[in-house]
Amino acid sequence: MRNARRGDREAAAALFRRYWRDAWRAAYAITGRRSLADDVAADGFERAFAALGRFDDRRPFGPWLHRIVANRALDLLRAERRLSDEELPDTPDFAPAHTVGDRGLLASVVELSLERRVVVVLRYGVGMTPKQIADALDLPVGTVNSRLARALEQLREALEVEHVE
Amino acid sequence: MSSEVERRLEALFAEAPEPDPGAGEEALHRALRTLHPAAPARRGLRTAVLAFAAAVVLLVIAAGSLAAAGALHVSFGVKTKPRATIRLVLPKGASGVAAIVDGRLSVVTNDGLGLQGRPVSAAALSPRALYVAAGIGDSLVAMAPDGRRAWSHPAGGKVVAIAWAPDGFRIAYVVHVGHRFVLRVIYGNGIHDTTIDRSVRPVRPSWRADSLAVAYVGGGGRAVVYDLGHLSRDIVGTSAPVTHLAFAPVGRRLLVATPDSAVLGGKTLATGEVEALGWFHGRPAAAFPGVTHAIVRSFGAGGQHVDAFAVPGTVVGFSGGLVVVHTPTRVLAGWREKTVGTLLTLQRRSAVEDVAIG
Repeated sequence: MRNARRGDREAAAALFRRYWRDAWRAAYAITGRRSLADDVAADGFERAFAALGRFDDRRPFGPWLHRIVANRALDLLRAERRLSDEELPDTPDFAPAHTVGDRGLLASVVELSLERRVVVVLRYGVGMTPKQIADALDLPVGTVNSRLARALEQLREALEVEHVE
Repeated sequence: MSSEVERRLEALFAEAPEPDPGAGEEALHRALRTLHPAAPARRGLRTAVLAFAAAVVLLVIAAGSLAAAGALHVSFGVKTKPRATIRLVLPKGASGVAAIVDGRLSVVTNDGLGLQGRPVSAAALSPRALYVAAGIGDSLVAMAPDGRRAWSHPAGGKVVAIAWAPDGFRIAYVVHVGHRFVLRVIYGNGIHDTTIDRSVRPVRPSWRADSLAVAYVGGGGRAVVYDLGHLSRDIVGTSAPVTHLAFAPVGRRLLVATPDSAVLGGKTLATGEVEALGWFHGRPAAAFPGVTHAIVRSFGAGGQHVDAFAVPGTVVGFSGGLVVVHTPTRVLAGWREKTVGTLLTLQRRSAVEDVAIG
């Protein structure tokens, strides 16, 4: 990290390779689109590297990068919703293309509102704690916890309905 | 049940797809370009800077006291001329006007919004001037006319030309990457960036009126029309190199200029050095440089000469149905219904790079 901060390209490249996959998967989990995940994760790294000189290297790089990526993804999704309500669907496109077995749960995650989906993704997809999510999204921890609780409740209800059917 | 949901969520995300290797390499290349070495923190240097700052503050206080007492006239540093404010005037009936002068973008709209002096490499107004797309650094940025960013997209190089589709849903832009210019099309909301051609000339693309095709100058200097509906590419049979091109505001006719002619649908409309090209009163038009004045000629549907008039200075382009002219001290727009207005006044030697009226 210190070498990367000093402008060492090899050290920066090593940092990139270590975190790229997680950053991309976080971006994908939030946006649900490959093309958008490519842009968001790349943009996140650009912003992170541009600000590396100001980064406190006593703190872990991963949560800081995820914060940038999550906010970038949210900005893009909100801009997309604001700018083209009629042109593009609000829901992600990973449902049909994703080939995991738990299709019922995936469909329910897709049905979550953007605010709830993001905290679920950061908690269970990226492995961030509620405190880290709160820092990343600039929200009170209580708000993160309540969104998580409501999201889990919504998912539980959806899965119960699916089970009954 | 919640813990069961949590377990299933973790399992679900553990199986999420992997990024494409190509995307990673491109992202790494872009990220490394932004890397800046951090300034080393040196205690001694910091102490010296603080001591110097304290000395300057004391000096200012002392000089200020003397100046207030009339004992000393004080001036610090080199006197720099303040950057002139660009006062853009909105032409009657227009939604907005944007100008790049000396590399800086200024915008004004009929909502009273505006921005001043933003350094850009290229810019284009959206339909009805709701947004402006600009090349800033190595990014393509969409802003509200007051400068608030709607989105920013890493372009991987300097954006040299931008064209917003008439329906507002897409933006075509040319970016300088390495030794090449690349044409890309991105949605108006900043997503789905697609490379159309990896080798083009740095000429502003032009959208067809239905927004389903974009014309550009390919690497070989020929005009190319890319159809977004059929994903097909047609080379327009005009001799190279094409220097300007402009689709008609209605229909599918494409007007192109070579260094010595203006051509519409394979028919040469006029010969001579073409300074600017566009559509005026719905007719194809071209501007030709003169000694003191430029000559604007417009043509009929059959290519026959319809009108010609002289304008004072250099024709910057045809925009918003007006002819935009750069004189040494002003940018003028008009000649529709014989009226002419000043868009902005200039300092001498100002470089007017682009003017767009939306």
